[in-house]
Amino acid sequence: MFLQETTANTFNYMILGFGVILGVIVFYLISLVARFRNLNHDLELLNEIEVDGRK
Amino acid sequence: MKPMPKALKVLNWITSALFVVALYLVLFYAPRETVMGDVQRVFYFHVAAGWVGGLAFLVTAIASGVYLTRGDHRWDQVALASVEIGLVFTFANIVSGSVWARPIWNTWWTWDPRLVTASIMELVYIAYLLLRQGVEDPDRRARFGAVYGIVGFISVPITFLSIRIFRTIHPVVIGSGDLSATGSFNMVPEMRVAFFFSLFTFTFIYATFLWHRLRLQRLAEKVEHMKMKVVSE
Repeated sequence: MFLQETTANTFNYMILGFGVILGVIVFYLISLVARFRNLNHDLELLNEIEVDGRK
Repeated sequence: MKPMPKALKVLNWITSALFVVALYLVLFYAPRETVMGDVQRVFYFHVAAGWVGGLAFLVTAIASGVYLTRGDHRWDQVALASVEIGLVFTFANIVSGSVWARPIWNTWWTWDPRLVTASIMELVYIAYLLLRQGVEDPDRRARFGAVYGIVGFISVPITFLSIRIFRTIHPVVIGSGDLSATGSFNMVPEMRVAFFFSLFTFTFIYATFLWHRLRLQRLAEKVEHMKMKVVSE
């Protein structure tokens, strides 16, 4: 690298680097949304069971 | 589940806007580094992700300490939520560093003190989650988790200081680094703006995620409570 005369072409690595960081963040965001949905679904189901039980 | 608080909705929008601005600064405002080229731009988010990892584990240690002192269960929830977010961002930090290293060090991985200590830190907090899963009683789980959350924090300053204490090829951008470091560069003012704005933005992302994760935790407990109620009836 010390002997190079022009700037290295590392554009593809930049794309990969940002892809990794953004990908991890988006994946975590999706996991949060999915867990929220599942829990809300469970809560609705449990409420229905509770109401049926009272009848 | 309670509807999303207005303050959280506002925080979502502020964080999204900050992230767009940070992306602009990093990709277009900051100049291309002369030697490394475009891959140097990864550095801004790489460091910011590492910062969030350290911050999240610090919050865990503090919340654990408060839990042990007061016995308030909510602090245990903060500690757990913060560890999860810290793990996500530390993982992004390690992998993005590996991508940067490929063209600069000519390898995806090397047994450098910083890479090793960061990986150990990640493993320490994965073990935190495993420990919690292995304990049935909620009070014992919270107590064990709190003690571990405080002791495990030792790995954070060790990771931060590793490139300042040991002989390393990992660059130190702020402060003086080892002469054998490869990939060092001097930040021009535009780079500093992009760098500090990225740190600021990622701190907001952390706060936003933490709030959402805590709401998720409360919802999970509500579902668990309902399950017990339905089973007992």
